[in-house]
Amino acid sequence: MSSRFWTQGGSDSEEEESDYEDEVETGGAEAANETAGSRYLKGMASDSDDSDGQKRVVRSAKDKRFEEMIATVDQMKNAMKINDWVSLQESFDKINKQLEKVMRVTESVKVPSLYIKALVMLEDFLNQALSNKEAKKKMSSSNAKALNSMKQKLKKNNKQYEDLINKCRENPESEEEKDEDEETEEDEDEESEFEEDIVEGSDADEEEEEEEADDVNDKGWEKKLSKKDKLIDKQFKNPGEITWETVNKKFKEVVAARGRKGTGRFEQVEQLTFLTKVAKTPAQKLEILFSVISAQFDVNPGLSGHMPINVWKKCVQNMLIVLDILTQYHNIAVNDIIEPDENETQKPADYNGTIRVWGNLVAFVEKIDTEFFKSLQSIDPHTREYVERLRDEPMLSVLAQDVQDYLERVGEFKAAAKVALRRVELIYYKPQEVYDAMRKLVDQVGDGDEKAGEEESRGPSAFIVVPEVVPRKPTFPENSRTMMDILVSLIYKYGDERTKARAMLCDIYHHALLDEFSTARDLLLMSHLQDNVQQMDVLSQILFNRAMAQLGLCAFRVGLVAEAHSCLSELYSGGRVKELLAQGVSQSRYHEKTPEQERLERRRQMPYHMHINLELLEAVHLICAMLLEVPNMAANIHDAKRKVISKTFRRLLEVSERQTFTGPPENVRDHVMAATRALTKGDFQKAFDVINSLDVWKLLRNRESVLEMLKAQIKEEALRTYLFTYSLSYDSISLDQLTKMFDLSEAQTHSIVSKMMINEELHASWDQPTQCIVFHEIEHSRLQTLAFQLVEKLSILAESNERAIEARIGGGGLDLRRRDNQDYAAAAGKWQDNSTYTLGRQGTTRSGYAGSGRTLALGQPGGYTRDRSGQLRGASGYSGGQRNSAARGSQMDSSARMVSLNKGVR
Amino acid sequence: MASYDLTQRIAPNLDRHLVFPILEFLQERQLYSDEQILKSKIELLNKTNMVDYAMDIHKSLYHTDDVPQDMVERRAEVVARLKALEEAAAPLVSFLQNPSAVQELRPDKHYNLQMLNDRYQIGPNQIEALYQYAKFQFECGNYSAAADYLYQYRALCTNSERRLSALWGKLAAEILMQNWDIAHEELNQLKEKVDDSKNFLSPLSQMQSRIWLMHWNLFIFFNHDNGRMQIIDLFNQDKYLNAIQTNAPHLLRYLATAFIVNKRRRPQFKDFIKVIQQEQYSYKDPITEFLACVYVNYDFDGAQKKMRECEEVILNDPFLGKRLEEGNFSTVPLRDEFLENARLCIFETYCRIHQRIDMGRVLAEKLNLNYEEAERWIVNLIRSSKLDAKIDTKTGTVIIEPSHPNVYEQLIDHTKALSGRTYKLVSQLMEHVQTQAAR
Repeated sequence: MSSRFWTQGGSDSEEEESDYEDEVETGGAEAANETAGSRYLKGMASDSDDSDGQKRVVRSAKDKRFEEMIATVDQMKNAMKINDWVSLQESFDKINKQLEKVMRVTESVKVPSLYIKALVMLEDFLNQALSNKEAKKKMSSSNAKALNSMKQKLKKNNKQYEDLINKCRENPESEEEKDEDEETEEDEDEESEFEEDIVEGSDADEEEEEEEADDVNDKGWEKKLSKKDKLIDKQFKNPGEITWETVNKKFKEVVAARGRKGTGRFEQVEQLTFLTKVAKTPAQKLEILFSVISAQFDVNPGLSGHMPINVWKKCVQNMLIVLDILTQYHNIAVNDIIEPDENETQKPADYNGTIRVWGNLVAFVEKIDTEFFKSLQSIDPHTREYVERLRDEPMLSVLAQDVQDYLERVGEFKAAAKVALRRVELIYYKPQEVYDAMRKLVDQVGDGDEKAGEEESRGPSAFIVVPEVVPRKPTFPENSRTMMDILVSLIYKYGDERTKARAMLCDIYHHALLDEFSTARDLLLMSHLQDNVQQMDVLSQILFNRAMAQLGLCAFRVGLVAEAHSCLSELYSGGRVKELLAQGVSQSRYHEKTPEQERLERRRQMPYHMHINLELLEAVHLICAMLLEVPNMAANIHDAKRKVISKTFRRLLEVSERQTFTGPPENVRDHVMAATRALTKGDFQKAFDVINSLDVWKLLRNRESVLEMLKAQIKEEALRTYLFTYSLSYDSISLDQLTKMFDLSEAQTHSIVSKMMINEELHASWDQPTQCIVFHEIEHSRLQTLAFQLVEKLSILAESNERAIEARIGGGGLDLRRRDNQDYAAAAGKWQDNSTYTLGRQGTTRSGYAGSGRTLALGQPGGYTRDRSGQLRGASGYSGGQRNSAARGSQMDSSARMVSLNKGVR
Repeated sequence: MASYDLTQRIAPNLDRHLVFPILEFLQERQLYSDEQILKSKIELLNKTNMVDYAMDIHKSLYHTDDVPQDMVERRAEVVARLKALEEAAAPLVSFLQNPSAVQELRPDKHYNLQMLNDRYQIGPNQIEALYQYAKFQFECGNYSAAADYLYQYRALCTNSERRLSALWGKLAAEILMQNWDIAHEELNQLKEKVDDSKNFLSPLSQMQSRIWLMHWNLFIFFNHDNGRMQIIDLFNQDKYLNAIQTNAPHLLRYLATAFIVNKRRRPQFKDFIKVIQQEQYSYKDPITEFLACVYVNYDFDGAQKKMRECEEVILNDPFLGKRLEEGNFSTVPLRDEFLENARLCIFETYCRIHQRIDMGRVLAEKLNLNYEEAERWIVNLIRSSKLDAKIDTKTGTVIIEPSHPNVYEQLIDHTKALSGRTYKLVSQLMEHVQTQAAR
C-alpha cells in the first residue's frame, strides 16, 4: 500500500516540480539566472552526496515512520490539486504530529527535508491561492475559513524552519535527491550539508587529510571551473556584446547571493574571478576584485579555523592586482567612508577626476596577516607543511610593503602606520641570522613566483589587462635594525595609541634581541609602558611579557644579573610562564577553565617559530636568582626569612633540601640546585661546571663570552658567600689567599672586598702594608640581634597603634594629626634611619648591589595586581627592580615620554 | 686630547655668537689646526651680520687682501638693512633716549601702550620694529645696544612668544658682554619661563629649551663666583637631570666636576653616582670615570690614572679651563681645586676601608705628593679632626681607628623615641575621648 503511494507520489511530485519550474521560468530572466546557478549547485551537491551514498545504511524501524510521512505528503498534494483546504489543514496537523514521531525515532535534531519540502510546497500553494482573488471568492465558506487559518498556522510554523526552507528553495533539486538519502543522513547533524566547507575545517589532527582534500578539491575545482566557465560564457558568449551594464548586473547578483545558505563559497569566488576578467573599466575591475577578496575571506567560516592556504595565496595575488590597478590609474581612490554612487565605476580609465571605490586596503592586509598567523598557529610545527607555510611569509611582506608604499603615496599615513605595524610584527622577533636567511629565501622565491604567474595568466584574456606595476619581491635592507628603525619611526609619527604601544614593544624586543640592553631599557622606561600595560588588550600584554622575557635574556647576556632577575622574576612568580608568553596552555590545578576560556587562550598562542625557548629562560632566571640569593642567604643566617630576593628560588631550594637523596641533576632546576649547593660552600668551580653542563647554552649566539661572564659572576658571588659565611672563623685573611682560592685577579678581589666593606656588609678593613683583611669583632651576638629585632617590632607596633588611632579618630583626628605631623614625621624618619642602620650593622643591606634591594621590595605590591582577564600578572614587575638603575624612569615627566618616542627614531 | 673635546656636542645647543668664545679658546689651546678653526669661524659668521669680522678672518686665513665678492655684497646688504631698520625703529628709539619721556612710563603696560599710541604715535608696528632692530644689532655684534633695546622691548611687548625670544636674546647679549651678575638675573627669569609648561606646545620643545638653558648657563656658572653651587642646584633638579640624561649626557662632565669641587653636597652626591653609573653606556669621560672608579669600583689605582687624565680634560675644556692671569703666570683655578678635592675623595674612601696605610710608599703615591707633604697633609687632617687616625712614625704608617657605635647606644637610640610616641598617642586618645564626652 505504502509502496504504491511511494511510487505514485514520487512521480506526482516530479510533475509538480516541473510545473512549478515552468511557471517560474516564465517569470523572467532574473529567475532564469537563478536556476542556472542552482543547476550548477545541484552538481555540487550531488558530488557530495555521492560520497555519502557509500555509507548508506537502511534502518527499517525508521523507514516506517518516513513512509507514513510520505503518505501524508501525498495526501496533501492530492488535496492541493482539488484545492481542498479543509483536508489540507487536517493533513498539515497530521504531518506535524508525525514529525515529532520521526524526530523521536531518528533521535536527530535535523528536521527531515521531506517535511521541509512539504512546507515549501504548502507555502507556495498558499501564496498562489491567496494571490488568486477570484478563485478565493468562489471558495466555499468552510474552505475559505480553512484557508485563512492555514495561512496563519503555516506562517507560525514556518518561522521555526525559516533557514531550512530558504535553503530548500534555493536548491530544491538537491533536496529532492536527498530525499532518498534521508536515512543515511539522519543521524548526522546539520553541518554535513556543508560538506564542502567542513573539508576546510581546521582540526589539527586532520591536518594531513585536509591537505589531501585540498588537493582533491583543487582538481575538482578546475574541472568545474571549465564547466562553469562554459556556463557563464554562454551569457558572455560574444565578447563584443559585453557592456558595463551586463557585468555590473551580474556582479550585483553574485554579491547579493553572498552569505545566503546554500551559496557555495568557492563558486562565488570563481564567478567573481571570472567577472574580473570581463570587467569593462579599471574601477569596475577593482570593485569586483574587492568582492573577490571578501569572498575569499568568507571561504572559511568560523573563528577557529584558518583560510585554506591556496585560497590565501590567491587572495594575496588579488591584492597585488588591486595595487597594480591603483598604481596604474591614479584617479581611482579607495575609501571606506563614502558610499559611492551606483555608477561610479562606469567612468572610464581616462575619466577626469577621482573615481571613488569602496574598500579598505588596511583591513584586507590585516585580515590576510591574521589568517597567515592563524594558519601557523594550527599547523603542527614539526611537519614540513609548517616550513612550507613559513616560506609564504615574503609574499605577505611584499604585499604589506606595497600597500604601505601606496598609502604613503596617497598620504594616508595613519593607515600606513597600521600596515607598518604588521610588517614590524613580522620581523621583530627575528635575530639577524634569521633575517638574513629570509632575505635569501626571498631571492629564491622570486624565481618560483614567476612560474606561478605564468600559470595564472592562462585562460581567457581579460579586458582590462593590468601590467604588474608594484614589485612582486619584497626589498629588505641589509640590516634588520635599519628596517625596524624605518618602520617604527613611521609608526611613532602617525600611529594611534595602540599601534604605537605595540610598535614600541616590538622595538624593545628587537633591541633586546640585538643585545642592546640599555637602549631597550630606556625605551621601556621612558614609554611608561609598564605602568599602563594593565589596561591594554591581552594580545598586547602577551607582547609585553615577551618583550620583558627577551629583555631579561638580554640583560643576562650582557652580564647584568640583577636587572635580568628583576625582568624575569615576575614571569615566574605565578608559575604560569607558558600562559603568560602564550607558548602553550598551562594546566591550573586550582580552577578548571571553561571551554570558552580555553578556546580564547588557544586562539592567542604564538606560532612555534616565534617562541622564546622556555628552558633557556628558566635557566637564566634561576641562575640569576641563585647569584643574588646565595650570598644574600649567607649574609642573613640569623634571619633568613626577612630579606627574600626570589621567592620562587627559595621554594625550589627548600624542596630540594627536603629530599633525602639527591641524584644527579636531570632538568634545569636540578642543575641550578646542584650549583647552588656548591656555591653555598664557596666552591665556584663545581658550581660553574654543573651549570656549564646544561644544554641550553648552545642556543646562545655568543656562547663563549656569556659563559665567561657567568663564570666571573659565579666567582664573585662565591667569594662574597665565602666571606659572609666564614668571616667569623677568621681573624685576618690575606688578599693573596683569597685571590688563589677564587681564581680572581688581585684588583678584582680588592674591589669586591672593598665594596663589601663600604656597604658595611663585611666588618673588616684592609691592613695595607701586609695586604690582609682584618676582621673586626663586632658581629652581634644572638642576644643583640634579637634585641634589634625586638626594637624593630616595637616600632612597627607603635606605628600600627598610631595608625589604628588615626583610623578610629578619623576626621576629628585630622587636626590633631596635622599638629603632630611634624613630630610624627620626624619620629618616623628617625625610625627609618635606625632600621636601615640596623640592617647595615647586621650586614644585610646589599645596597651596593646596584641598590636594588630596597626598590625591589617597593616594587612588589605592584606585581600583585591582577588585570581584568586574570591572565597576565605582574606586568608592572619590571618597575620594581629597575627603579634604581633608572631613577629617571620613575621621575620622568611627560616631556620625556615624548622624547623617548623620538629617541627611538634617531 | 681632542677626543674629549665637547665642542661638537655643545655647539648645536648654543647661539651662533656664543660659539665664538669657545672657538677662541680652542684656538688658544691649539687642539685643532688654526686653519680649521678659522674656516669654521667664517662659516659661523656667514649667517651673522658681522661681515667685517668675517672679512678680517678671511684675510688672515688666506693671507690675501682680497675679499670674496659675495662678502662685499653681503656687507652692502647688511648696511642697507640696518639703515632701514633704524629708520623704522627711530621714533621709539628717540622716545626711549629721552629721559624725561621715559619717566612718563608706568608699570602698567596697557597704560604705556595707550600713552605711546596717543602722544607719540608709536603703535605696535614701531614696537615690532624695535625688536627687529635689536635683533639686527645683536647679529652685528653690537651686544650692548641689543641688550638695551631688548630690555625696553620686553616692557612694551604683548606677545608672549616674542617676550621669550627677547629674554633669550638679552641673556645671550649679557653673556657675551660678560656681565655675569645681570646675566644671572636674566637666567633666573628665563628659567621660570622655561619651567612653565604653558609656554610650550609640546613637552619635547620644553625639554629642548631646558637643554639650551643649561648649555648657556655653562658660561655663567663657571664665571660667576657662586656658580658652582648653582650649577648643582640647577642641573640636579629632576627635570633638568632627565633632560641631561635623555638628550645631553655630555653635560654630566660639568655636573660631576661641580660635585667633586663642592664637598658639601653629600646626599645628592650618592644619587648622582648612580646616575653616572647608569649613564656609563651613553657618556663617559675621565671625570665621570674617575667618580666611577672611586665610588663604584673602588679601584684606586684606576682613579689615580683617571685623575691625571682629568687634569688634561680640564685644561682643554673651554668652561672648566678658564685661566686667571696673575702677573706673569696664569693659573687655572679650577684645576687646582679639582685636583685637591679629587685627592681628598680618594683618600677619604681609602681610609674608610683600611686600618693601616703605609704612608711612605702608598699614600704619597696615591695623593701625588712626596712623603713630607703627605705627612703634613695627614697631620692637618687629623688636627682639624676630619680624620680619626694616628701616625706611627716608626713604621711610617697611618693607623685609622675603626669606629663602631656601641650596641647599647644604638638600642637606646632606637627605643627612645618610642615612649614619646606612645605618650603622644595616649594624650591624643584622651583628648578625643574628652571631646566626645563634652558633646
